[in-house]
Amino acid sequence: MPNEKSFTEKESLDIITSMIQKAKGSYHETGIGSILWGSVIAFNSFVTYLEIRYDFYIGFDVWILALAAIIPQIFISINEKRKGRIKKYEDDALDTVWLVFGISIFALSAYRIIVGGATQSLIKEEGWVMMKHYLDGRRPDEPMQPFVPSFYSIYLILYSFPTLVTGIVKKFRPMLYGALISYGLFIFSCFTSTQNDMLLGTFTAISCWLIPGIVLRRKYLAQKKAANV
Amino acid sequence: MFKELDPILHSQLRLAVMSLLIGIKEAEFTFIREKTNATAGNLSVQVQKLKDAGYIEVIKQFKENYPQTICKITPRGLEAFDEYVKALQQYLQAGKE
Repeated sequence: MPNEKSFTEKESLDIITSMIQKAKGSYHETGIGSILWGSVIAFNSFVTYLEIRYDFYIGFDVWILALAAIIPQIFISINEKRKGRIKKYEDDALDTVWLVFGISIFALSAYRIIVGGATQSLIKEEGWVMMKHYLDGRRPDEPMQPFVPSFYSIYLILYSFPTLVTGIVKKFRPMLYGALISYGLFIFSCFTSTQNDMLLGTFTAISCWLIPGIVLRRKYLAQKKAANV
Repeated sequence: MFKELDPILHSQLRLAVMSLLIGIKEAEFTFIREKTNATAGNLSVQVQKLKDAGYIEVIKQFKENYPQTICKITPRGLEAFDEYVKALQQYLQAGKE
């Protein structure tokens, strides 16, 4: 770019517009994190759906994979920070949103694991139990553990939240649309069984993270290729 | 009465650097060089002028044993850029009339 050459006001405006666009269109996220979580959550939800649907168990809790995915995510985050050549104003705020999302997911999972047994103990102390009663009398009444019906719906709404924030703040349409689809699936899941909620969870992970991640990755690679030409 | 265009900003490369930094928190020197297509030497000189005017802050540090230069716009730079754009609008408006 020439330096001190005289230039018109119109050219000044063109420089300002072009540079602002260049900064805006600069993708410093590689998309790998989004692809990782989209794949892991979609896979876990689908396997859980199959386990419930066909009444089998794969031998271990498939959601352990979500815990294991934290390790590559740490490396991805460190690598992206290391390679990142710009920092946008919204970056810190969005990182915090995703951190709080991660904490909330684990808090919710702890709630799901703990609260059933804890409630059962509390009501036992009060001297009563929850019973499953068949209206047609085909089976005798049986005690049951307290549970939150259609619990995975809460996960769906939680998946949508940081995705929508990121989509709006970054004006990244694939995530924005993914989050809106996810909110729609959440509403739908309120009327379906846990088994089908798991299938909806698969679609949510694909629309919220996997597809936007692939789009982001392609843009990042195209930008990288253009920079190397 | 037209406002005079700030001579520090009314230079293609310096204006490009400021325009690039206006929408982001901070950027590495290499990123600015890539986006402005400027040579390292020329960019260094213009970055120094912007720094001397108090429009940008330049942080020199080491990252994994390599020197790294980070540039970020200062509040004074933001103000100057805002004034420059306002003055530019006046000129452009006058041109239309």
